[in-house]
Amino acid sequence: MKTDAVRGHLDGVLLAVLEAGPLHGYAIITAVQRRSGGALELRTGTIYPALSRLERTGLLRGSWQSSGERRRRSYELTDAGRRRLAEERTAWQEFTAVIGAVLNPAPEPAS
Amino acid sequence: MTATRPHDPVEDYAAALTSALHGPARTKARMVAEIRDGLADAVAARTRDGMPYGPATDAAVREFGTPDELVPDCQRELTLAQTRHTARTAALTVPLLLLCWLLTRADAGLARDVAVHLVAASASVALLAAAALPVTGPLARTLPVPRRLPLAVAWTGSAAAVTLGAASLALALVSALATDWPVTALACAVTVTSHAVLATSARTCRRCARLALP
Repeated sequence: MKTDAVRGHLDGVLLAVLEAGPLHGYAIITAVQRRSGGALELRTGTIYPALSRLERTGLLRGSWQSSGERRRRSYELTDAGRRRLAEERTAWQEFTAVIGAVLNPAPEPAS
Repeated sequence: MTATRPHDPVEDYAAALTSALHGPARTKARMVAEIRDGLADAVAARTRDGMPYGPATDAAVREFGTPDELVPDCQRELTLAQTRHTARTAALTVPLLLLCWLLTRADAGLARDVAVHLVAASASVALLAAAALPVTGPLARTLPVPRRLPLAVAWTGSAAAVTLGAASLALALVSALATDWPVTALACAVTVTSHAVLATSARTCRRCARLALP
């Protein structure tokens, strides 16, 4: 999938991979790649400003965690983030249902 | 003898981002550090798989995007962070100015006239600054942030800084004439400090706003 197509759904993608629990930036990148089978064409560095945006708008909560000698910033969903993820899923299902009906119309019954 | 640091593409990448980005120092440092650590993780994942360090770095940078490709998104976030910082500073320092005038009991003649005008100007600034915080925060989930908002907050902050400067001069004048000059002098010092903090934040915000505009 091309970069522009992915960017329109980036918020939903990031919220979805964080649904199971907190992750730091690179773990989020690898989770997205694993779930997509590497099919998403995305400059993965752009995930970091996107995480910052989601934190600013209150959909994610960030905190520093110690990992060996390093400190990493982990992100987790807020209640608002969970609600937003549910909305994103509903909107996506409605979208794919409508476009699917247009692209693959059900055969009309013989009269 | 000074030890020379070996050339490290990951550190060069972080340095390129640091020099290209402008915004609140702590937020910028955090963002660059996160990206640098992520890039280092991406390189380490490849070297663990047996790839030599040089090609691993090149592949990781291709995956992350070059600093030039990341700067627009990062700068937009830093500009909004600076906008919020300036708005917060204005919303906190301007009421402080009002408190200073109350403390000095500037209730006669020129001082009172100046105070009335400053109260009106300050209230407008504080309201606009306070409104910018939800607009760039929770409301931004559903509504796009107005493109010109950072510039508007930057100039509002600048105007408030000028107001604080004028207030400092007025307080210095009142202090010279007042019988309770220690309180007035203290209020003047607080106002000068607020002016310096707000003017610095507003100047950075103007710069960030210009960078973020297309």
